[in-house]
Amino acid sequence: MRKFLAVVTREFRERVRTRAFVISTVLIPLFFTLMIAGQIILSTRGAGTWRIAVVDAAQGSFGARVEAALREVKVGSGAVAPQKYQVERISIAPGRIDAVKDSLIPLIGKREEVPGKLDGFLLVTEDGLASGEIPYFGGNVGSLSEMDNLQTSLRPVVLTERLVREGVEPDAVQQASGGVELVTSKITDGKLTGESGESSFFLVYVMTLMMYFALLFYGIQVMSSVLEEKTSRIVEVLASSVTPFQLMLGKVVGVASVGLFQLGIWAMAGLYLTANVAPILSILHMSSDAAKGVQLPTVTLPLLLVFLLFFVLGFFLFSSMYAAVGAMCNSQQDANQTQHPVTIGIVLGLMTMFPLMNDPNSSLARTLSLIPFTAPFATPIRYSVSPLPLLELVLSILSTIAGVLIMCWIASRIYRIGILAYGKRPGLAELWRWVRTA
Amino acid sequence: MAEAVVTVDRITKRFAGHTAVRDLSLSIPAGGIFGLLGPNGAGKSTTIRMILNILVPDSGSVRLFGDQVAARDLSARLGYLPEERGLYRKMRVLDQLAFLGEIRGLRRLDSVRRARTWLERLGLGDWTRKKVEDLSKGMQQKVQFIGSLLHDPELVVLDEPFSGLDPVNSQIMKDVVVEIAREGRTVLFSTHIMEQAERMCDRVAIIARGEKVLDGALSEVKHDFGTRHVALVFTRNQASAAKILRDPTLVARADDYGGSAEVELPSDGNPDRLLRALVEADVGLSRFEIVEPSLQSIFIAKVGAEAAVAPAREEVHA
Repeated sequence: MRKFLAVVTREFRERVRTRAFVISTVLIPLFFTLMIAGQIILSTRGAGTWRIAVVDAAQGSFGARVEAALREVKVGSGAVAPQKYQVERISIAPGRIDAVKDSLIPLIGKREEVPGKLDGFLLVTEDGLASGEIPYFGGNVGSLSEMDNLQTSLRPVVLTERLVREGVEPDAVQQASGGVELVTSKITDGKLTGESGESSFFLVYVMTLMMYFALLFYGIQVMSSVLEEKTSRIVEVLASSVTPFQLMLGKVVGVASVGLFQLGIWAMAGLYLTANVAPILSILHMSSDAAKGVQLPTVTLPLLLVFLLFFVLGFFLFSSMYAAVGAMCNSQQDANQTQHPVTIGIVLGLMTMFPLMNDPNSSLARTLSLIPFTAPFATPIRYSVSPLPLLELVLSILSTIAGVLIMCWIASRIYRIGILAYGKRPGLAELWRWVRTA
Repeated sequence: MAEAVVTVDRITKRFAGHTAVRDLSLSIPAGGIFGLLGPNGAGKSTTIRMILNILVPDSGSVRLFGDQVAARDLSARLGYLPEERGLYRKMRVLDQLAFLGEIRGLRRLDSVRRARTWLERLGLGDWTRKKVEDLSKGMQQKVQFIGSLLHDPELVVLDEPFSGLDPVNSQIMKDVVVEIAREGRTVLFSTHIMEQAERMCDRVAIIARGEKVLDGALSEVKHDFGTRHVALVFTRNQASAAKILRDPTLVARADDYGGSAEVELPSDGNPDRLLRALVEADVGLSRFEIVEPSLQSIFIAKVGAEAAVAPAREEVHA
């Protein structure tokens, strides 16, 4: 046991001391923070105000209604939110449309450079009202979400104008065309959490990505560590004192504890930050309103436990495979090629995220949480999206544990022979012989 | 003979394609220095790995300290310097040694203390906080050597301990090995350098092509090999000397170095006749001495000159 612990502590000590550990511990949360901050900034100031001209060649008040509707659009929410569009309406005779269009086109461009330039212009015509197609010309048509916003703003205007022309009172139209919005709230364990669907999506997204990066990053560390012992030949001294299984397990546990240590640092930092959002934002000269725009997801203790459990199981599963890969190779290049099947396994796990979030209770989802290779991703995702029956959770845990044990066994058989084999990289048949030999 | 420290009983190890060790039996008594001699690729390292339970023999058994327990569980009593040298390149020297002590069952603090003492003794006291990769090859070898001795093992197994060392470091390590043996511990070392084995070993075993050729106490081995050996040094007319050494009625076997030679007389031969022939040939004889055979000549005679050049390097295949 002392030898095993010596292997574990060596692995831990040497890794935590490296510059790479310190840098990644600081940089990765910084990266996530910047991503989140970026989202806040984009949603508040974001694309900023657009200058749009409404070329009004239509009859009656259609053009005016379009202008009014666009003026209503705000950036973000709240009473002080700035206007999204700076609108200028130009009334023209229908016959001059082409001439006006040609004269406006050179004005589209970067406003910052020349005052008076436009972001784009709308052509409001009788034809457009009839067909429901309103031409928009601009430099920013590539932004699908912006175009979608614009279209959403115009849709009720067209509807209102048509109805008004049919003789309906404008007020009645206004009243009748009030939209419907689904307001989502999440219930966990029979309690209202106060999270919206969006923030729970965000939570799953972040957790799954973290899992993905951690499995990949630390798995590869296990692999290079095995490879280092093999290529530096120190493994022979170790093998004369520690069983290959102890050595492999010690390595996996050592690297896992580095991973948990790092996650722990991040969790503490995260807790501290979320507890002090307002003061931190004020340091950054951002209003605390901005923070309210982003609902921080609540992580319940059971969810955290499920996540940690599956992280550890997934870690043992994949890093024992990485250890076997390291043991069967003789150089870093060799290993980089050989590791692909393992890496693909992890990527597949990550890719289960999207179908699972759409339908966490489909039979596909159920199957994925019973397969040891996908369960470390699938089960926490399902658990966080919708409540999971206890039986399913237990079955998933048991099958993953079984998978981990089998994989560790196979990996240790390969490891045991691989670490002392300096020949050609073995083929599948050769590997199978390694696994079978006593 | 006292209880053997190592008893190897008819072990065989086959790798894909060839048999590395065949039906090898050895008995290494407690105390003293045991030399495992053989050309490259003879199976020395494979034998050592089986003794240490790094490899499992296909047949036969190994017992250490009269116990049936696997070497790994006795690792606190064993020290091992493998032929392929290796340390963690990025680790500091002292941490490295502390770890090597720990996996041999020492407590960390104890391990650190002993490592410091040893590093001082072998002149590496200023290097304790340096990374291994900053050390010269010779220093790394000394560090690894310390790693195999840190826990005061009863049996120290050194696979080619002196290869690649300069004469000064070689001398330092030799002194340590001799001292360990003097303290009553057992040293098993392998080498293909006979002069060294001859000066250090109490007992030797010669193996070739995976099989034992001979073993026993060095003096017995020499005695058994015969006393009809003559050491010669000549100062001129080397060509005529060489002609005499090729005469089968005078010389059965000669190890000719040009200016000196070690010869074995034929069974019916007679040193007087050889001396007379050499004097008549006017080779300026400055040494004519009836000697014990050198280990080198025994080795060449037993293994055959062609086996001294190994066909292929020893490699581990499953």
